[in-house]
Amino acid sequence: MEESNDILCVGIDLGTSRSSISASNGERHVIDSYVGWPVDMVARKLVKKPVMVGREALESRSMLDLRRPLERGIMKEGSEKDQEAVQEILRHLINVAGIKQKSKSKARVRAVVGVPAEAFRVSRQNLRNTMEGIADSVMLVSEPFAVAYGLEALLHALVIDIGAGTADFCVMQGRYPTDDDQRTLPNAGDSIDEQLTKLISERHPEAQFSIHMIREWKERWSFVGDPRNRVVVTAPVKGKPTDMDITDEVRTACESILPPVCETTVDLLSKVEPEFQDKVKNNIILAGGSSLISGLADAIQKSLKEIGGGRAVVVKDPVFAGSDGSLAIARDASSADWEKLSL
Amino acid sequence: MGTVDETKFRILQGVVQDNIGVRQEVSQDNIGVLQEVRIQRIAWRKQSVRPWLLASLLLAAFAYLTRPSSVVSTGRVSGANAETAKAAPLNIDQTPEAAAPLANPRPIDRNAIPLSVKRVVIDPGHGGEPGATSQSGVSEKDITLDVALRLRRLMAQEPYEVLLTRQTDQLISLDKRVAYANENKADLFVSIHVNWMEPRSIRALETYYVGPTDDPVTLKLASMENKDSGYSLSDYKKILEKIYVDARHDESRVLAKTIQTQLYHALKRANPRLENRGVKSAPFVVLIGTQMPAILVEIACLSNDDEAKLLTKEDYRENIALALLHGINSYAKSLNGPNTKGS
Repeated sequence: MEESNDILCVGIDLGTSRSSISASNGERHVIDSYVGWPVDMVARKLVKKPVMVGREALESRSMLDLRRPLERGIMKEGSEKDQEAVQEILRHLINVAGIKQKSKSKARVRAVVGVPAEAFRVSRQNLRNTMEGIADSVMLVSEPFAVAYGLEALLHALVIDIGAGTADFCVMQGRYPTDDDQRTLPNAGDSIDEQLTKLISERHPEAQFSIHMIREWKERWSFVGDPRNRVVVTAPVKGKPTDMDITDEVRTACESILPPVCETTVDLLSKVEPEFQDKVKNNIILAGGSSLISGLADAIQKSLKEIGGGRAVVVKDPVFAGSDGSLAIARDASSADWEKLSL
Repeated sequence: MGTVDETKFRILQGVVQDNIGVRQEVSQDNIGVLQEVRIQRIAWRKQSVRPWLLASLLLAAFAYLTRPSSVVSTGRVSGANAETAKAAPLNIDQTPEAAAPLANPRPIDRNAIPLSVKRVVIDPGHGGEPGATSQSGVSEKDITLDVALRLRRLMAQEPYEVLLTRQTDQLISLDKRVAYANENKADLFVSIHVNWMEPRSIRALETYYVGPTDDPVTLKLASMENKDSGYSLSDYKKILEKIYVDARHDESRVLAKTIQTQLYHALKRANPRLENRGVKSAPFVVLIGTQMPAILVEIACLSNDDEAKLLTKEDYRENIALALLHGINSYAKSLNGPNTKGS
């Protein structure tokens, strides 16, 4: 609605694994949700920065106190360092979107931040507090709702946003979704990583690999259903690079999220008014990083056969769908509304 | 059917109102959460409300209806060590619609309602399966049963009726333990467990009462203790937010505090490096499902070899049982003056 050079609207998808920002000045960025502080004076001298964020932090992790401060899509609590890390991520996102925090002529920032559909209200309050000094006004919305809003899928649609920490569901029925319209499951990218780690360790007990290697393999090769190619990766065994076929492990790990996701999909569909169920069944939208798992939409469609079939599609830009949707909300809200939500 | 713009406008108003709620909760120290939960808990407990709880709710409702219109308070039904609520002026920024649901009942002294502890259900954790096991082979199931049997013997000398969820090494699911306590209309539920923690140098004592937690360590512990419940942790998070300030929650917290205090004082002489980790809230299944004040106490850490050794000593286990008895006595006295059987 009202926008000027003095105001910057941003949509942020604060993710357990990756966080993205879409800004009204046209900037769009995605970063890894990692923050690290040099562990000692030597490290500080080497990295030449007091704090590192994103891929840069991940790559310098041996010299850093590295944090991945979000868990299941929300801030970890009980650790001041993790809360500080979330602030660093948010500050970094705003910076890369072109806002200089310390500039005297800096624009007023109106931020819409996506959180898991069933995030505790206290978690939302904590996040709101964390935004102080980073944005001028803040709205928190559920992640799948932000996706739906951005796609204008406001009526008879089911959005499933599968990230690293959570899989979030939201049925859109032409109104602001209630608790009953939304669900959050912990079965998402991270649970696949855990499963994959366990399966590979069992089959290749002598192989050495880190959680970062597991994530990289998953992001490159993840699939459900029949494999197109064998998945062969290289990892050291007693120091010697060794090829391992992990096709079955990748499939089993990725398919581990299917039963809860499909059950929740069917359950939410069954709660829609009967005359609209067909429309919603045929308008299932998948978003989030884990929606890129090859064959996922087909597998969900297959699970709908027992209730008469349906259609699931992956959004064109799953990584930015949440932040783009949040930006759309930020732009559409009136200045009067934003005034009510100033920090 | 309205246009997309009309639908968007309606939805945006929902987003803004929801966020105004969160903002006001931030500025009013979670008072909105308390009010929301207060309404929800009546529905949550309508099938199972006990006379003492009904009395407290009625008094709370009476206080709400007769409160001075110019003040709200952050109080809750409180005990002998009551946290007295501070009256706060109504925020002038609030719209009337927003202000009304934020008003809270005034605090009521728990002593206004005669309460008693007659029947106590003791729940020795695990059984059938070992639970945590020390390196030397001491099993959680054996320690918890031994302490529970000792506690029953000690309590038999006091005016209590004591019931045990298990008296032998048998597997009993968590929901059956909960049902047993509820069907027997217990006044208190005390679940005894032994912890297993990393690093193994830790010797910790901690007591839990029902409530949400975002502490990853506590969540992991709850997840482990809940593993045969048949539900996922995410199911409980939603419920828990709604019973955040249940009167039972407050009573459980008081009971947890008295038991934790007694245990720590009783054991630190024999176990000087024992760490008092205090009382915490967590979503343990046995605490969620029970309809009376309920706590789960982790009496030691089997991961620590020295503590495991101490647990093999009869007098140490007797001390634990005695401290639990003193904790229960102390709580019972705080409810209604001197010992309360038959009152």
